[in-house]
Amino acid sequence: MSKLFPKSVNKLPLQIVIYVGVLAAIATAGVTYYMTPKYTRVGYAPLQPVPFSHAKHVQEIGLDCRYCHSNVDKSGHSNVPNSQTCMNCHSMIKTTSPLLAPIRDSYATGKPVPWVWIHQTPDYAYFNHAIHVNRGISCVECHGTVNKMDTVTHMQPLSMGFCIDCHRDPAARLRDPKDVFNLDSKPLAEQGRAADAAKFVHDWKVKPPQSCSGCHR
Amino acid sequence: MKRQVEHPAPSERELTGPRYWRSLDELAATPGFKAQLEREFPDGAAEMSGTDRRHFMKIMAASFALGGVGLAGCRRPEKFILPYAKNVEGVIPGLPQYYATAMPLRKGAIPLLAETHQGRPTKLEGNPTYAPYGGATSLIAQASILDLYDPDRATAHTKGGAVLDANAVNDLLANIGKTYGPGGGAGLAFLADESNSPTRARLVKGLKQKLPKALWAEYEPLQDEAPVQAAIACFGSAVKPVYRFAKARRILSLDADFLSAESNSLGNAREFAKGRRVTKKTDEMNRLYVAESHLTLTGSMADHRLRLPSSHILGLAASLLIELYPQAKEQLTPYAATATVDPKWIAACAADLAENKGAALVVAGAHQPPEVHAVAYGLNRILEAFGNTVDFVSITPAAAASIGDLANAIKAGSVKTLVILGGNPVYNAPADLDWASLQKSVGDVVRVGYYADETSALAGTHLAAAHYLESWGDARTADGTVVPVQPMILPLFGGLTDSEVIARIIQLSKPDPYVLVSETITALAGGDPEKAMRRFLHDGVLAGSAYPVTSVEFDARSAARLFRGSPSTQTFSAKNLEVRFVTDHKMDDGRFANNGWLHECPDPITKISWDNAILVSPKLAKELGIVPHGSAIQVARKEENDFTIGKENAHVFELTVGGRKLRGPVHIQPGLANYTVVVPLGYGRTATGHVGRNAGFNAYSIRTAAASGFAAGGSLTDTGTRALLANTQEHWSMEGRDLVREANLDEYQKNPAYVKGIGMESHSPSVLGVEGEKMSPAERASKLPRGGSMYKTPEFDGHHQWGMSIDLNTCIGCNACVVACQAENNIPIVGKDQVMRGREMHWIRIDRYYSDGKADARAMADLFSNVASGNREIPEDPQISLQPVACAQCELAPCEVVCPVNATVHDEEGLNTMAYNRCIGTRYCANNCPYKVRRFNFFDWNQRRLDNLYLSQLGPKGVPDLVQMVKNPEVSIRMRGVMEKCTYCVQRIQNGKIQHKVKMAQAGRPGEVEVPDGTIKVACQQVCPVEAIEFGNILDPKSRVSQAKAREQDYALLGYLNIRPRTTYLGRLRNPNPKMPDYGALPLSRVEYNAKNHPAHDDHGHAGHDHGAAKKGGH
Repeated sequence: MSKLFPKSVNKLPLQIVIYVGVLAAIATAGVTYYMTPKYTRVGYAPLQPVPFSHAKHVQEIGLDCRYCHSNVDKSGHSNVPNSQTCMNCHSMIKTTSPLLAPIRDSYATGKPVPWVWIHQTPDYAYFNHAIHVNRGISCVECHGTVNKMDTVTHMQPLSMGFCIDCHRDPAARLRDPKDVFNLDSKPLAEQGRAADAAKFVHDWKVKPPQSCSGCHR
Repeated sequence: MKRQVEHPAPSERELTGPRYWRSLDELAATPGFKAQLEREFPDGAAEMSGTDRRHFMKIMAASFALGGVGLAGCRRPEKFILPYAKNVEGVIPGLPQYYATAMPLRKGAIPLLAETHQGRPTKLEGNPTYAPYGGATSLIAQASILDLYDPDRATAHTKGGAVLDANAVNDLLANIGKTYGPGGGAGLAFLADESNSPTRARLVKGLKQKLPKALWAEYEPLQDEAPVQAAIACFGSAVKPVYRFAKARRILSLDADFLSAESNSLGNAREFAKGRRVTKKTDEMNRLYVAESHLTLTGSMADHRLRLPSSHILGLAASLLIELYPQAKEQLTPYAATATVDPKWIAACAADLAENKGAALVVAGAHQPPEVHAVAYGLNRILEAFGNTVDFVSITPAAAASIGDLANAIKAGSVKTLVILGGNPVYNAPADLDWASLQKSVGDVVRVGYYADETSALAGTHLAAAHYLESWGDARTADGTVVPVQPMILPLFGGLTDSEVIARIIQLSKPDPYVLVSETITALAGGDPEKAMRRFLHDGVLAGSAYPVTSVEFDARSAARLFRGSPSTQTFSAKNLEVRFVTDHKMDDGRFANNGWLHECPDPITKISWDNAILVSPKLAKELGIVPHGSAIQVARKEENDFTIGKENAHVFELTVGGRKLRGPVHIQPGLANYTVVVPLGYGRTATGHVGRNAGFNAYSIRTAAASGFAAGGSLTDTGTRALLANTQEHWSMEGRDLVREANLDEYQKNPAYVKGIGMESHSPSVLGVEGEKMSPAERASKLPRGGSMYKTPEFDGHHQWGMSIDLNTCIGCNACVVACQAENNIPIVGKDQVMRGREMHWIRIDRYYSDGKADARAMADLFSNVASGNREIPEDPQISLQPVACAQCELAPCEVVCPVNATVHDEEGLNTMAYNRCIGTRYCANNCPYKVRRFNFFDWNQRRLDNLYLSQLGPKGVPDLVQMVKNPEVSIRMRGVMEKCTYCVQRIQNGKIQHKVKMAQAGRPGEVEVPDGTIKVACQQVCPVEAIEFGNILDPKSRVSQAKAREQDYALLGYLNIRPRTTYLGRLRNPNPKMPDYGALPLSRVEYNAKNHPAHDDHGHAGHDHGAAKKGGH
């Protein structure tokens, strides 16, 4: 056979193995980076019909999250405010601002303002806001420091791994219940109050589900 | 009023996303849609056939496509959050709201709580404020919500094919009033279905004042209340009986299916169960005697059941009365002679009833003639039932003409305009009236109907009626309590209510249905009208509005007037059959003919879905020559009825009675009177939606006014053809197995733990081990090691451990749980063709078994010999055993170990969960499930139409928005290729836990995370009228489920498999009378069990148990 194949062919199988290995590694790396929620979701900051600045309303004016997201501690779904809520103030302030025209129109006509949905979970995953905010998990854990955002941006991957990480170790992310809506606060563990966090877990019987039924129905 | 503003006014148009009913008004105004309707309507009822619906979808799809695709970026499709523009009072997005309403049905409305999700009703529950029903609902009430979203319902008002808008309709109705006003209504006639709505009664009164010469007639094809003539004859006043089953220790039913077909069946069932439930040795248990021709649900509960033609019931009743009251002998002897019943049966039954004076009750079927009711009243009088087990309430009989009177008026030519409110007389009027041609002979017919049905096809004008969930109204329950009918949604297609139509015809100044109802209610309630109405709507009942109980005096002399004729004796044979027309469990009178949930739900007794059948007794079947001979496998009784895996290959016969004929498949039904042929009503609709088309035969076509319950003189002739029926249970017998464990009450009293002596487990050491056997269910769940398997399941360390207990002693097999589960869990229907392939999707089913005590140890030996044995015969007079089966959440679940992708795994609280998004559809789990409760999505039922499933990707995709609106947003919709099953309503568990934790955290008691018992109710439990299902936390020894499981007659189905199911059963008890000729010391299923397992000795017990002798049985 040596007449047909040069000697260098002897190395070919090894080369193939190496090349395939490298290709597979690149593909894996590519998929892991570009095709997971960490890449596809984080950073999503679509243009909203009204350029609402959370930073302005929270930092400057001092509104609480629950002034607008009024049902977050009652319902699984955290509501986006009705136009009526906006008009509570904007019927008196900036009444002619062209940027607020969609709100005024909506209020006048009854048509909803089409806010672009940023933090989406899949249809088969049932996330419940009320249970989290009532039991020591702050908005900031999933939504990031929205209080400092001019444009709301998707900060966390919100993948199943992201959820499960916290459900496996809730003590690391629990906050003092008073601090849940204070997005500048730190979790108990990060404040060096690990013992308080452990006590919280014990006293409140915090036992986040790690089985399918916790989220999938 | 507050409630009026609950629903947001329809905004013009939402910017994007699926648009619900709000856009349909606009849609109806587009030229294309109008043209389509106009083109289609000359064809009458068929305007919504397949192609049109597709077209309809196209129009819809085009308009809402804007939302999804338009601005899609490269990352993912852009979706929008559309908050209300203005606050809607009480609405919290994500949380359901509950409103009190009621389903009106003849004279017994069912009070309901409707669950709505942002203005969209999705599920109905019973209103617990109405104590007699205690929050229970019926099969048809559960399914009725599907009709609201039926794409085949009438969607427009039409006249001569042209669409009328709301103003035109109002003018049309006002014109009727104006035209006939001057003549006092002469020439105008109304035909309505029965109702006991106070508002309608008030308006009819107004109508009669304004138009005194107008003819008001009412027609209801089904009778479910005792005929008032009998009461007038016996008591001299219009009263109706209200039975107190809970107080009755001995009950005799004279052809009365009081647990299902009769009025107030929910209340009856609930009360009956109270007297039936036995929780400890010393508890009393009622005894039920049933004499009937058909095998009803009531009959399946009987301790002594007598098969008797319906026309012989009077003879039996008369014999009983003579036995108890010899003075009646002279007058009643000719009647008693009309039936041949074993005198011992009569004597022993009568003696037993007499021994329980004051706690005995006799109930006669509504379809029976007044004579039977009069005798039943007499019996109750003698048994001192009045004021004890039966109360009488005064009623006001509707001052309405009958359909016969109306027919005569039409024949006389005195009807110029006929207004038909509801009903469907062309389909279900007595056959001897020939209603279709009568209706055609009336010049102007205005039909108000929910569907464009048979009657609408022969009416010039069709007005769309509103569903009860979109209309204001009121109604009375069977005991007379006034309940509100409150809308959950604006009328989707601008439908009208009966009351509104009448109000517009008599030109009331405010014909708004809400105003009409509030005027009635505030007048009834008195006090501050605003407050009264609010309270009424809040509670869902008007307190103290029940019919008053009156004391009655039985007037024997007056009652005797009913018995003046000379009764004739009917002898039935294959040539002179009795034909019995029965109310179908599902279709009612035919009004639910386009309801897929009901069609797919198998009949509780025959187990046939999607069809009705001519039911014949095994004896008659033999004489007709349709029982195949020489079948090998006998115990399963497969070939006896020509089964091939779910498909019942039925012979098609022609049934003739009184010269009228119908054709239908024959089903051999054990337990019928030998020569009674049973035909269920409500099928065979010719003008209905695509669901109800070609389902069964129309038994109304041979039913006359004079013989509406049963008729004599029937005959059957073979057409030589066969038809396939979708029968979901071809297995008739338990084959001597221990699935339903039964005992007689006396055995139970001696040995409450009788279930432990039955079944494989009784022959082997406990699968739980010596230690486990001593533990409580809570300890077993948390402490008992789960085998030494390499397969690890999560530790059961949750705050709760869920479990269920099903009491087979009270389950009446009504099937309400089956449809409640379907509604709650978004379970699709699959259609007749797929049911025949065994692909029905129900998560809970009710198994029905017959036992005649004849299956013996040679059952299997018969396979190899031709020696005939008792096994070869279809039982003629079987006992019936019923058993609801759903996923039992086995702690050592066999399904989990075979799943290659871990799609079904346990959670910490003992649920065997399904992660649909992980499932790849190998179906190994279903294969390995001993209970066969896992269901596979062979097709994309939720995306594809059932008539072109096999087109796969080529077929049209998507279903109308309207259909999607019924879905429960808390439950994932499953796609093709995914396995699904019961998860104890995991969405209710999770939401219940979350709401409790939130409440406790906000109340400052965050450590109290255990949900109190009774907070979480699963759908099947909530609907159950007999409270047979208990569900809850088995870690809590005080929970009802723990207490139920602690009872001695608790056993696990197939417990010997060591799968440790969380759902366990409580054994069934029978309470036969030892003095009766048909008494058996053991239930027949036990006789079969013993015969199979212990052929050497009859009695089976552990004391002195000799395994050597039992070897032959082959354990």
